[in-house]
Amino acid sequence: MDQLLQVLVAGLKNGSIYALVALGFTIVYAATGAINFAQGEFFMLGGMLCVSFTELGLPLPAAAVAAIATTAAIGAVFELLAVRPVAGDDPLRIIMVTIGGAVVLRQLALHIFGPDERALAPFTEGASLKALGVAVELQTLWVWGLTAIAVVALALLYRKTSFGRAMRATAIRTDAARLVGVNTGMMVTVAFALAAGLGALAGVAVAPLTQTAFFVGAAIGVKGFAAAILGGIGKPISAVAGGLLLGLLESFAAGYLDPAYKDGVALVVLLVVLFVAPQGLLGRARRVKA
Amino acid sequence: MRGRTFGLGAAMLAVVVVATLAIAIAGCGGDENDTGDGGSQEPIKIGAILSLTGTYAGLGEPEKNLIEMEVKKINDAGGINGRPVEVIIEDDATDEAQAVAAASRLIEQENVVAIIGATGTGQTMAIRGDVQRAGIPQVSMAGGTVITNPVDPQVFATPWSNTIVVPFTLDYLKSQGITKIGLITDSGGFGKDGQAVFATEAPKAGAEIVADETFNPGDTDMTAQLTKIKNSDAQAIVMWTAGSEAAIIAKNAQDLGIDLPVYGSHGIARREFIDGAGEAANGVKFAAGKILIPEAYGEDTEAYAVATAFIDEYTQAYGEAPNTFAGHAYDALYLVVEAAKRIEGDITPEALRDELENTAGFVGIGGTFNLSPDDHNGMTQDDLSMYEISGGDWTLAQ
Repeated sequence: MDQLLQVLVAGLKNGSIYALVALGFTIVYAATGAINFAQGEFFMLGGMLCVSFTELGLPLPAAAVAAIATTAAIGAVFELLAVRPVAGDDPLRIIMVTIGGAVVLRQLALHIFGPDERALAPFTEGASLKALGVAVELQTLWVWGLTAIAVVALALLYRKTSFGRAMRATAIRTDAARLVGVNTGMMVTVAFALAAGLGALAGVAVAPLTQTAFFVGAAIGVKGFAAAILGGIGKPISAVAGGLLLGLLESFAAGYLDPAYKDGVALVVLLVVLFVAPQGLLGRARRVKA
Repeated sequence: MRGRTFGLGAAMLAVVVVATLAIAIAGCGGDENDTGDGGSQEPIKIGAILSLTGTYAGLGEPEKNLIEMEVKKINDAGGINGRPVEVIIEDDATDEAQAVAAASRLIEQENVVAIIGATGTGQTMAIRGDVQRAGIPQVSMAGGTVITNPVDPQVFATPWSNTIVVPFTLDYLKSQGITKIGLITDSGGFGKDGQAVFATEAPKAGAEIVADETFNPGDTDMTAQLTKIKNSDAQAIVMWTAGSEAAIIAKNAQDLGIDLPVYGSHGIARREFIDGAGEAANGVKFAAGKILIPEAYGEDTEAYAVATAFIDEYTQAYGEAPNTFAGHAYDALYLVVEAAKRIEGDITPEALRDELENTAGFVGIGGTFNLSPDDHNGMTQDDLSMYEISGGDWTLAQ
């Protein structure tokens, strides 16, 4: 019994991390129709910058905010300097640019932060919560809380604000959005900044659990991408559903099958979902873009 | 107005990014320089293939530092029998294909007499074909058992191999009355290797592996595996991994309230493990060479003098204490240099390889090396100590 519950908790914890990263994919996709393969590097930058800021003497909350803001700024600059001049609004070209950008960001991080793993203190010190033979680290509660806040805030942004609607309009038909007065270029820049900030938030929240290093972006990027596809890319709630499902699948595979097959199980389920419902579990079938 | 403010902000950010780029590029400018300092005679060229970027950059960086520092020292003291040494360092980016490219460049264009490297087991194995074809000796700094077992005539390795560390750990467990082991290993090269050695060595030591769990590099939570170990009748958790996941295992075990002793591999002999695991690191035991606490050698021994000189000089040059990877590079470099010094006449790759096998009683950082045609690693269990982490530092375990 306690094993089942512990596996469940572990799955939900990893799942929330994947969900936070998947949200970043969702935002850029919603604005451009492209996958941002540098999303994992924003995750890495958030964690590394936060560690560096605390080492410079900033208290943890200030360091976290500064890390998220800096990463968001890097996301915006990345869009302005790399994505926009090279790719325009062609999704395929944006994808290529972000793959290259990921390599550049990773190597820059190596030279600036050095090659070693860094540790970050938990947001709240203290022993894990224990009930029914299950342990939950306090930092895991932070991850859950931040994921919930992020998804609600994003859903509100998209549904309730004209700014969010303008972002979605840009994705559906860039030229039409431009005709009704949306500054489509700026929408894409903001989307990249937002995605980078969210990625950094995830990176900061996870660093106390796992340590962080310049190379962590690639692996988490793949997981977040899989979660986004699994849930149905484009909507915040699907990203969260995909993330949690992926985390639970992995955790149950690790707990009840050979853990070596863990990543394999997740991939097989992803393939099956794509065969049966190519739009993802919660995604609506998309009209083919003109 | 809004748009204009935005443009200004973007321009400022652009300046920051360009400045960062410039610093980064300046920082990597020195990567591929050679470290020989001339001399009247033709230098002896040695190649080094290190992982300066990519996942193993944390290992390759101290190796490079060490080699540059020692080569300067060797040349200041007259080089090898009057000839200067030149070590040409190549980066393999923790990538097999780039390691192969580096090896063929060193062999075809630089005509090196030996190759030191690579940093990782995968890269070490990848260049084996080139090394064999060229007939030059290779001294690896990677820990995989496959590198020297079975013995390849051309290939040597300096780290402690799992085939000596695992039996040493099993003996220690036995002395603590522990015969039922809950094993957790990573599915990468190092963990897989350790798992295989445990499977063959445990029965010999009268121990039983009652839980055999694995995880993938990069995993963020091991509570599922640890709960399975908890529910077995294991008397100790033994984790065999060199990655940062070891810290997660220690933390998860503490969170789950598992009060079994935790044992690690020599792969956690790094400050990063203590930093990452924090409180949970205390009480974790692992076997590694005596270099972590050189006093274990006895203060009037040659080994103690070598070890303390190594630590002092490295700390003075680079402002931080060396880790065990710098030690593996020290041993690799000096095995080659000392063998070359013993050669009378032409230093050819063939002569160097033969002379490496004659290494006897070389006191290095990892231990005392006695190489032979049957043993290309040359260390024994006598070169190891059992450590316990206590108060955030290494101590000798009782």
